Amino acid sequence: MLSIGRMRTRECRGWTRRELLRAGILSAVGVNLADVLRLEAAEFQRKAPAKSVILLWLWGGPSHLDSFDMKPKAPIEYRGPYSPIASSVLGFDVCELLPQLARRANKYSVIRSLRGTSNDHGIAGTIGLTGSDVGAASLSGQVLSGAVKPTHGSIVSKVLGFSPGMPRFVAVGGHLHQGKRPITGEGGAALGPMHDPFRLDFHPERGIEIPHLKLLDGLTASGIDSRDRLLAEFDQLAQRVDRSAEMSRLDAFYQQAISLLTKAGSREVFDLGREPESAQRRFGRFRFGQCCLLARRLVEAGARFVQVNWSSHVEPVEDLGDGGWDMHDRFFQQYQDRHAWMLDQTLSALLDDLDERGLLAETAVVVVGEFGRTPKINNRAGRDHWEHCYSGLVAGGGLRAGQIVGASDRLGEYPTARPVTSADLFATVLGQMGIDTTTLTINGLLPQGNLIEELI
Amino acid sequence: MMLRVFFAMALIGAEPDVVRLTSDGHLKQRPCWSPDGKQVMFARHQGATIFLFLRDLKTGQEERLTSHTSAEFDAVFSPDGMSLLLSFDKTSPGQGDIEVHRLTLADRKLTPLAVTQGALSHEESPCWSPDGKRFAFTSTRHGNQELYVAEVMGGEWQRLTIDTAIDAHPSWSPDGKTIAFTTNRWGDLEIALINPDGSNLRRLTQSKGLDDYPAWSPDGRRIAFASNRDGNLEIYVQTLDGPAINVTRNEAIDNFPAWTSDGRIGFVSNRDGGFDVYSCRLTE
Repeated sequence: MLSIGRMRTRECRGWTRRELLRAGILSAVGVNLADVLRLEAAEFQRKAPAKSVILLWLWGGPSHLDSFDMKPKAPIEYRGPYSPIASSVLGFDVCELLPQLARRANKYSVIRSLRGTSNDHGIAGTIGLTGSDVGAASLSGQVLSGAVKPTHGSIVSKVLGFSPGMPRFVAVGGHLHQGKRPITGEGGAALGPMHDPFRLDFHPERGIEIPHLKLLDGLTASGIDSRDRLLAEFDQLAQRVDRSAEMSRLDAFYQQAISLLTKAGSREVFDLGREPESAQRRFGRFRFGQCCLLARRLVEAGARFVQVNWSSHVEPVEDLGDGGWDMHDRFFQQYQDRHAWMLDQTLSALLDDLDERGLLAETAVVVVGEFGRTPKINNRAGRDHWEHCYSGLVAGGGLRAGQIVGASDRLGEYPTARPVTSADLFATVLGQMGIDTTTLTINGLLPQGNLIEELI
Repeated sequence: MMLRVFFAMALIGAEPDVVRLTSDGHLKQRPCWSPDGKQVMFARHQGATIFLFLRDLKTGQEERLTSHTSAEFDAVFSPDGMSLLLSFDKTSPGQGDIEVHRLTLADRKLTPLAVTQGALSHEESPCWSPDGKRFAFTSTRHGNQELYVAEVMGGEWQRLTIDTAIDAHPSWSPDGKTIAFTTNRWGDLEIALINPDGSNLRRLTQSKGLDDYPAWSPDGRRIAFASNRDGNLEIYVQTLDGPAINVTRNEAIDNFPAWTSDGRIGFVSNRDGGFDVYSCRLTE
């Protein structure tokens, strides 16, 4: 058996002569190198620290200067009105609007030197979700050449293999868009629709919604308007499917959905009513809070990559959910009154909950948007798009906690140390799941990004 | 004497007498009581909407006062209770173009009062002068969010502040002589006072953390505001020369203070899970 060291040594140049000899011997008995690598990859994944990923996608672009990379000594037109407060990690200050996260800083690490290449939501969003701008579509409609790459969750689905039960990749929240233009890079792309996300959403009044069910005869998402109704629909659907040949008309993806929803053990994952009142309240009785509670239930039930979209629309006012992070106007008003405490409460609850259940060690949590916001405050008390430097947060999944990776300059405009990309971030996170260069290659996927060693 | 009793009670930690006025749990902002104390107005976030609702405190009935699809918020009753000032935030492509309108309650007629033509400027956070003839508000018309005063019947705006800091949330004193507002010109967010002609700018609060949303008591002797000075957002009350007293004392978020006509403090809190409107008695 080939010995596998840390993922970063598992490139071709890292094979030893002895290992290659072993591979040669194995091939002589009918087992080729690809087979060996697959076996090794499976073993590597089995031993990997992270079993799952929860990505909290802050669509619209959160401000790094008003969260995890404050610049209290910057001129007033940069620093904003908020003060830094000490966290539980010595020397790491966070915004006063995030007091609960400040107390939990020993549970996560922050990257202060993420940088991108586009300040367009569409393009930057595609980069953030796929690691590449290939095939991205801008707000103006320009489409960059090449075929869009699969998103991180789809890669997980592909590598781990399609699951007839709990989907590997679940997206909680609607399709991402800016204006009326959807972004590219949310799904499986060339991997096929089997690896698109299984979509769920939460409406504060109607509860959990399952968009895939809209395609089934006689059952619409809007018809599921309460917990009781949802459960009743599940039961009816199960009986109907058992009696009829409807399943045969559906492709495998929807068969998966139906299988999931009609299986008594599986469908319970969608029933937030099974959570104690204290848990629902702890996560927050608003869309993002309940979506994160659902994400934890999904991971607990076997989902391997759950992406929670804070909003569908980048705009804070027009979004159907909790409002996007694209606050060109009234930034401080909206951030202070709404977004900051929501993030503070829900992310704190998620980290605590995962920790208390023993799941944090095996669940990587990633919190990031497509870019940051302009360090200089604009003339509408807002901040605009800023791709040159922004922050991201990671926790769990065997990733080191209490770390500050990279640094930005005195105004928060550019990285001064350890610049990294979103491709690097997700190479690191997926690496914790055992999805490394070798694994990607044998699955026909092009590896992207470099490991952020400080987090491993 | 009454003030002394109030502060003494607050200091010894007497349990606040809190009444919950709504129960839907949706995020709400900036409640405002009618002068007769019979109604409360607030902005409610629901789905993609931020709309104003007028709630009858006796029956619990609520109604929207406009049919606008734009986000609407920051409503304040006129001193005579006959009309409201409020802000509209247009939807795309004009999003970020916020205007102050007057709504007369008898006929629901809307009249734009503070509008910047041809630019994405936001005029918001209106408050009435006690005689109902003028209003203070904030605007980004001149490139930074500053404080302005204008006549309700129209005319030129008077700019009160010129500073690279963000000035916000004016509240006019009942005697008409002072406007309290929020500013970060001294570092973090503090409550400042200024005369309605722009003179005599001075600092009211000096605390670590943010102080925001000042609201004058009906008797003009106290100012309520939200502050996180103790690590959690609470409602504080102070006189112009006295200490600030935490009147909510709850682990939840308490925000957006407003005075009721009978001297209670109204606010929004998530102490019961969702965000609802509450009021709290201050004096014995």
